[in-house]
Amino acid sequence: MVEQPQLGAIPALIPAPKRRWFSRGGRWLAYGVLIGLLSLFAWGLIKANSGPVESGMAPDFTITGYDGRMVTLSQLRGQVVIVNFWASWCPPCREEAAYLEQTWRKYQDKGVVFIGVDWVDTEKEALAYIKEFDITYINGPDVGTRIGEAYRIQGVPETFFVAKNGELRGVHIGPLKPPQLDQKIDELLAEPYPGQ
Amino acid sequence: MLADIGFFAVVIAFLLAAYATVVSAFGGWRNRPAWVESARNAALLVFPLLTVSVIVLVYALLTLDFSLAYVADVSSRAMSPFLRATALWGGQQGSILFWAWLMSGFVAAVLLRKWRRDRDLMPYVIAVSMLTTAFFIGLVVFITNPFARLWHVFGAEDVTAAVFQPANSMPYLPDDGKGLNPLLRHFGMIGHPPTTYVGFTGFVIPFAFAIAALITRKANEDEWIRTTRRWTLVAWIFLTIGLILGGRWAYDVLGWGGFWGWDPVENAMLMPWLTGTAFLHSVMMTEKRGMLKMWNIVLILLTYSLSLFGTFITRTGVIGSVHAFGKTAMGPAFLIFIAVTFLGSVALLFNRIKTLKAEHEVESFVSREAAFLLQNMLFLVIAVAVFWGTVFPLISEAVTGTKITVGPPFFRNVTGPMFLALLVLMGMAPLFAWRRQPVRNLFRAMIAPLVASLFITAVWGYTHRMHPGSIVGLWMVAFVASAMVYEFWKGVRARMQSRQENPLAALANLIGRNHRRYGGYIIHLGVIMIALAFVGDAYFKQETQGTTAIGERLTLGNYSLQFNGLRGYPGSDGREVVEASLTLFEGERRLGELSPRRDFFIVQQQPTTIPAVYSTLGEDVYVLLVGWDGDGRSSSTFKVYINPLINWAWIGAVVMVLGTLIAAWPGDQREASYVLKAGALQPQPATGG
Repeated sequence: MVEQPQLGAIPALIPAPKRRWFSRGGRWLAYGVLIGLLSLFAWGLIKANSGPVESGMAPDFTITGYDGRMVTLSQLRGQVVIVNFWASWCPPCREEAAYLEQTWRKYQDKGVVFIGVDWVDTEKEALAYIKEFDITYINGPDVGTRIGEAYRIQGVPETFFVAKNGELRGVHIGPLKPPQLDQKIDELLAEPYPGQ
Repeated sequence: MLADIGFFAVVIAFLLAAYATVVSAFGGWRNRPAWVESARNAALLVFPLLTVSVIVLVYALLTLDFSLAYVADVSSRAMSPFLRATALWGGQQGSILFWAWLMSGFVAAVLLRKWRRDRDLMPYVIAVSMLTTAFFIGLVVFITNPFARLWHVFGAEDVTAAVFQPANSMPYLPDDGKGLNPLLRHFGMIGHPPTTYVGFTGFVIPFAFAIAALITRKANEDEWIRTTRRWTLVAWIFLTIGLILGGRWAYDVLGWGGFWGWDPVENAMLMPWLTGTAFLHSVMMTEKRGMLKMWNIVLILLTYSLSLFGTFITRTGVIGSVHAFGKTAMGPAFLIFIAVTFLGSVALLFNRIKTLKAEHEVESFVSREAAFLLQNMLFLVIAVAVFWGTVFPLISEAVTGTKITVGPPFFRNVTGPMFLALLVLMGMAPLFAWRRQPVRNLFRAMIAPLVASLFITAVWGYTHRMHPGSIVGLWMVAFVASAMVYEFWKGVRARMQSRQENPLAALANLIGRNHRRYGGYIIHLGVIMIALAFVGDAYFKQETQGTTAIGERLTLGNYSLQFNGLRGYPGSDGREVVEASLTLFEGERRLGELSPRRDFFIVQQQPTTIPAVYSTLGEDVYVLLVGWDGDGRSSSTFKVYINPLINWAWIGAVVMVLGTLIAAWPGDQREASYVLKAGALQPQPATGG
């Protein structure tokens, strides 16, 4: 056993420790903080396991395009918005790129906005991709993958459909093939919106 | 089938671990040595059983048994046998099995040691460590099983993975596997997971001892600390190596020119490291002065909980990260286990708080006790800040509905000054005496290193005038380094004078006689080298990006790079390589050839950027191939970084490992600390420790 000969000899140097911090209130506080943290993790876990956001208000974001144009999702109320996540290194994105552009040209004057979000990419390749497919709707980098995170995308391509009132009306994972996008847009355009 | 043997070995190991948990706890509670002995034997069997299943899995990976879902996922024909073997921890299922295996190894090792003084701790050490091990084996058995096979169910589009054959199905055998994630094919990423896991799992030993000491009301005695000191040190150094290998991997593979990005996954590792480091220091206060007993317990509970928490957030995607781990079903189970561990240990601590009494109080602010206390506070505050920044996106989303990620600037600004304060404290700590000392003596002890560091800084400042911030940083590094060197020199000089030894023998004896103390100083020297790398990174980093035609040059600082051309060829492990050829010049002097690459992994459809680095002790020239025009005949784009002093980070790591080896070297140091404790009332010389 440990010998501590000096202990008994100098009682005056050892004042009785005060344990005020751990009064009953302090303990409840400690438990409260712990349980609060655990519930936070539980909530985060449920959220993380729920896949991409598919309903509710579409998470807002502002994106600056490679051409300098800027657009904020929440300022596009009254219009149908198609948010497409892509990357130049992603072969399935190439499959849908021409179809996306073609659909955009068809609907651009009918109250439909396309936003291309370039996910985990380098600018040079991205610009070459945009040029290759002659993409004319706004396309910008997802800086810090913030937008991808907000939509909880699993990869690219993923396309989110935003209704006129800013609510999400579903997501398509993987490349879009005709006429999926046309159908979805027609459906969303048919929704009533106050003032239209 | 061999895989069945692996699976059943895991199942038996799970049953034995569960048995050991219950029986040892009961044996301890009712004081039945025979029960404890039985639990110990069961616990000892877990390790060989898991070894069998690990061997089976590695064999399956090597021989490409694609009927196993795990093998089809992480191994492939194009991979070399070495890479196939390391795929054991290339995916989640294998990682968890590997983790459980390491933990059972630690537990077996601790159970095989001699249990003399602390025999009454044993039942609860077994119970706690086996509970944790059983949990991880349980994950392997029930949730993320590496021995699950691929089946094709009639009528279904996809194949399913299951251990037992589902109804209406037939076995499915793919031609080839997907192979290891290309980003993970690097020595840093091959070494990073195992070292990290050893670090994380190793902390279960001090944790189990702390809980056992609390349960048996022996936490007030220092026995558990003495017993676990080396275990903690081993876990800690592995965690350190893991952190540094991870940094090295990021530097070599991720292609952003840095080695630390404050990503949640990195923070998850840093937090237990911070509290673990604080623990390693605070136990010295307990051993020498009988102080901070409750604090030690809190720190080890925190360290262990943060290890679990780190695994939880990295493996379940609760907090978004650039690290792509697959999402899994083990989240809820993990959360419940963490809740049990957190709440259980806190409740136990509150229940036993009265048994923990300090034998002394801090007597003066100018004492080693006060320095240790301040140091501990700093470590803890940094850990809290990192925790807050890491969890903040979750909190902000819960409260305001928008996810706000705090980036590297937050962590840099908040923790930077505290790390600097820690650094200075590290240099000053050896100069403080235990208990108290006149401030005058402290200053006297500080004069030599202070003068030396000011001299070094003046020379540096004169030659590098453009960065005022760096001068402060460098002064700190120089001060701590000179304080350390001075400390060694004082010891060597004393031996040379009193025993007429030559300097080398004096140094060897000095370290040999008190390897724990001088090993610690050597670790600190390693830390200083890493700090130097951070100073270089913070103040002297330069970068540029440019497109050059063949024959033209790209210039950065004193260096220029001449682009000679681009070539493509099929590489090993199923990749297409595009490699640029560059000649590096300093002024007009040719330094060598650099070949940055872009590898495209065909199966995974994933490109990786592999930098080319020209490396010296002073700085690295780090070049990335960013892109090229068409077929690359005309021009290519490069990103170039000058990363000064970065090699000191890796050298510092090696020095830290060396110091740890010295500090943990076997040899009975117990007497020395007893003497100090008994003699605590005698005035200590300023260098006493």
